[in-house]
Amino acid sequence: MKLRSKWLSIVLAVVMIALSACGGGKGDTAGSPNSSSAGNGGAKEPPYELNVAFAAFNAIPSNLKEVQDAINEITLEKINATIKLTPINIGSWTQQSNLMLSSDEKLDVMYVSGRNYTSYVSKGQLQELDELLEQYGQGIKEVFDDSFINAAKVDGKIYAVPSNRDLATNYGINLRKDLIDKYSVDIDAIKTLDDLDGLFKTIKDHEPNMTPLVPQTAGISFVDSYKWFDPLGDSIGVLPDYDNGLQVVNLFETPEYADFVQKLRSWYTAGYILKDAATNKDTNTALLKANKGMGYLVNQKPGMALQDSRSAGMELVTVPLTPAYATTASVTSIMWGIPINAKNPQKSMEFLNLIYTDKDIVNLLDWGIEGKDYVIESGNVIKYPEGIDASNVAYTLNQGFMFGNQFLSYVFEGDDPNIWEEMETFNNEAVKSKALGFSFNAEPVKTEYAAVTNVINQYKMALETGSVAPEEILSDFNSKLKSSGIDKIIAEKQKQLDEWASTQ
Amino acid sequence: MNPERSVKRRTTFKKYLPYYLMLIPGMVYLIINNYMPMFGLVIAFKDINFVKGIWGSDWIGLKNFEYLFKTSDAYIITRNTIVYNAVFIILNLVVAVGVAILLNEIRNKLLSRFYQSVILLPYLISTVIISYLVFAMLSMDNGFMNNTVLPMLGMEPKSWYNEPGVWPYILTFIHTWKGAGYLCIVYLAAIIGIDQEYYEAATLDGASKWQQIRRITLPLIAPVITIMTLLAVGRIFYSDFGLFYQVPMDSGALYDTTNVIDTYVYRGLMQLGDIGMSSAAGLYQSLVGFVLVLLSNFIVRKINKENALF
Amino acid sequence: MVNQETRAWQWIGHTILWLYSAACILPFLLLFISSITDETTIVTNGYSFFPEKFGFNAYTYLWKESADIFRAYGITIFVTVVGTAVSLVITSLLAYPISRPDLPLRNPLSFFVFFTLLFNGGLVPTYLIYTQIFEIKNTIQALIIPSLLMNGFNVLLMRTFFMTTIPTPVLESANMDGAGVFRTFYSIVLPLSMPIMATVGLFQGIAYWNDWFNGLIYITEPKLFSLQSMLNRIMTDIQFLSTNSALSSQSAEALNNLPSETFRMAIAVIGVIPILLAYPFFQKYFVKGITIGAVKG
Repeated sequence: MKLRSKWLSIVLAVVMIALSACGGGKGDTAGSPNSSSAGNGGAKEPPYELNVAFAAFNAIPSNLKEVQDAINEITLEKINATIKLTPINIGSWTQQSNLMLSSDEKLDVMYVSGRNYTSYVSKGQLQELDELLEQYGQGIKEVFDDSFINAAKVDGKIYAVPSNRDLATNYGINLRKDLIDKYSVDIDAIKTLDDLDGLFKTIKDHEPNMTPLVPQTAGISFVDSYKWFDPLGDSIGVLPDYDNGLQVVNLFETPEYADFVQKLRSWYTAGYILKDAATNKDTNTALLKANKGMGYLVNQKPGMALQDSRSAGMELVTVPLTPAYATTASVTSIMWGIPINAKNPQKSMEFLNLIYTDKDIVNLLDWGIEGKDYVIESGNVIKYPEGIDASNVAYTLNQGFMFGNQFLSYVFEGDDPNIWEEMETFNNEAVKSKALGFSFNAEPVKTEYAAVTNVINQYKMALETGSVAPEEILSDFNSKLKSSGIDKIIAEKQKQLDEWASTQ
Repeated sequence: MNPERSVKRRTTFKKYLPYYLMLIPGMVYLIINNYMPMFGLVIAFKDINFVKGIWGSDWIGLKNFEYLFKTSDAYIITRNTIVYNAVFIILNLVVAVGVAILLNEIRNKLLSRFYQSVILLPYLISTVIISYLVFAMLSMDNGFMNNTVLPMLGMEPKSWYNEPGVWPYILTFIHTWKGAGYLCIVYLAAIIGIDQEYYEAATLDGASKWQQIRRITLPLIAPVITIMTLLAVGRIFYSDFGLFYQVPMDSGALYDTTNVIDTYVYRGLMQLGDIGMSSAAGLYQSLVGFVLVLLSNFIVRKINKENALF
Repeated sequence: MVNQETRAWQWIGHTILWLYSAACILPFLLLFISSITDETTIVTNGYSFFPEKFGFNAYTYLWKESADIFRAYGITIFVTVVGTAVSLVITSLLAYPISRPDLPLRNPLSFFVFFTLLFNGGLVPTYLIYTQIFEIKNTIQALIIPSLLMNGFNVLLMRTFFMTTIPTPVLESANMDGAGVFRTFYSIVLPLSMPIMATVGLFQGIAYWNDWFNGLIYITEPKLFSLQSMLNRIMTDIQFLSTNSALSSQSAEALNNLPSETFRMAIAVIGVIPILLAYPFFQKYFVKGITIGAVKG
């Protein structure tokens, strides 16, 4: 392990030369997506290996290699390529993916999170996909309603495709069923936030050790889990009621915002909200499990009641408080892109096409190996094989929402077998925000952006959990936002939105 | 050329050659690990676009630095960073040297070893975990302070994470608690290295312990104290991110007393993820530290040339 | 009279050190007890020295991963031992020459070392150099070499120690006896420098043991995860999942597979205990000086 100094000093000289090259080199691969493997039908060319990087939300499966081999059997035959799966733990994802994108590392297909998307695009780290989609990705285009695939466009060009899952969201509250029954609450009568007052009071009066409303998870305020506006990405400059004639407004100055934080404050002082809400670090279901709370505001989707009931270990009911809306953010939160370093973008796209169209590949990625990780119970429904359960199953990823088209995925026993039809209806019937498809690029105002982000961080959690009295704080907040340049960001956003609208 | 001089130079060279050979591995490592990546400092002045590469990206002058000064909080974060660090430097020094001297005096070998191990413990616990332990003390709902200590004193429960006034004390306490034991070991090593004959002579002369400490121990470990302090001064614009971010639970109400340059940069760039702007912040912190160290080194040099860093 | 004074010093010393030790141990004890507290009890009542209900879920969960954890321990131990040893060699070899007051270019060389403490190129350039030129990604060297192998701080610390505690006459007489520079260094300087070697060794050892950052950026292959990078990954995953709003409905499910609160505490416990066990090894070099003094005094 000892450093050999002679060797190193030779390398040093090489380095100095290489350094000057490592900047310019990347430009070459960028321009010409179709340069390699032009002969499409040439079946005899050696298979190309695609490095597929994605974030792992759970433990990395011990039998990943096996799954990879099974996928390769299919891809070799269909697109004459093999894949190498590179899962990276979600906590390390931002850092590692950024580094991989910034260097010349081989990376052919990657998961793109909505929060990084515009920044990747503006730094030139993703390839433009329009042409590739047209030629090799027809399967992807067929899966989606046009408006959803267009939602991923930046300046009229598409750089990543969303996975097909819940593409819209409605806000509502999840509540413990046992308490609903105990105090015979009529949940059908709950339509708005104001209808919750009575329920909270009942709970507080009868269960003094319980705070009726708990936060969704650490760092999430109640405005995050109950929105009445299109955040246009970041909530700095929003579109109230998902329309507002495309007039961007400062959320924090709207009367609706003032009313909402006032309402939260009244709940907080009445003891309806967890005292530690602003600094809470537990998840909603953990808090329910510990008998600390009875419900939480949350962004909902079909099948959620069952999913959260499993997490909480008790039966929950979902009460929607808003209709479902589709926004750019809800569509683009999970996407797939082709990095600028990809040497064979055609093959990358062909593989992407497969994860939206090939049921076998989708289920290998979603559930692992049939017979080992799951068995088919009947039709579309699967369950664990004999002797296997959640604690010892080898394939642990469990993130079907990520791998291409989730609607091709099997449904696990206990979930609604028709969940995907319902989900499709949910997506298609969701109200589309007037600005669906608009992505904000903060680059031109990044100085102000950094300052404003800090100010929002300072006030947001306290105000939006009712932990402080809004009377004074809210105006402090707003004047500080002003002096940090929020108006400039909103003006820029309006400008970009107008430009976007004119091209629609 | 004077032949005598060139002979002399050759013998000097021959005499010192082994020394230069010795430092090659370390120097090569510094070049690879530290100096070569410094080409990255240009990133602070560029609008990075990876299609063009690092060198090919456009120069944008000082634009990446603007956000550090344009905010209304610029004064607060600079003040916090400097004042906290100044207090930390002094307290760490006093506590670590004090404890090291006490440890050196302890006769009971077993207990001395025990103390030495135990005071290292806080350093080994990650800041995230510390933030949880602090939360166990200060939580509104079931914190130790609100549930046990304050009722005992007949006081009302406090919302600790909304009280900026108390946090300077809390953070200073935690920082000292976490770091002093570790630093103490450096001073202890220096004290142990002192030739015992000094003390024997002093004892024969009837000097008291206190006098021995003041006349022998402190002057003899002064070079170590100087260098530790100089190095800390060089990092005065940096701060322990975990301490200022995790421990106050990122509570906005506390920003007046907990926001420092590092946390400001982190929060500001969380969404943007802009490599140019983060490089700019790093360069700014380095430059300030650099100037301060040059200044303090100059002063140290005036007082005692031996103790200067270079 | 001297005796009385000594006794007073002992009393004061023990009292202060006991208080200090208590301040260090109690939180650690709380940490340990929390790791064996029932998960739900923590959410309900918070941390406590006397929990209502114990639970060993965190450790059974860790035990399930024991194959991975033991391999990670192996990697950590290898990296720590090799890294610390190499580091001590090159650090002392660099510190010794620049501690000689008569060495030509001594100050520029010191400055060269010092400069690295203040300025760095940042993560991306460092990553580029190590991965593109030295192709270090997913190798065990990646856990040893980048950033950690030698630290300018330790070099300057050692330099100061060499300057102050090794009497120049000793070196001169060795020179007079015809011992070469390397020989003098090996047989005179090193034996006299045990306390500082132990200190720097300890610092390096802790740095290697606790390092997760190199693992985070240079390693994607799970077989090469060191203990801390593995534990840190689990921690950051929990943290990420519990704070990411965009993915909340999906991540909530993922999160529930982990006993999060007690688990973090258990992770901290199994990460810290081995260092505590190894520490007496370093202490050996500390106590020596004290006993000689004590015997003579």
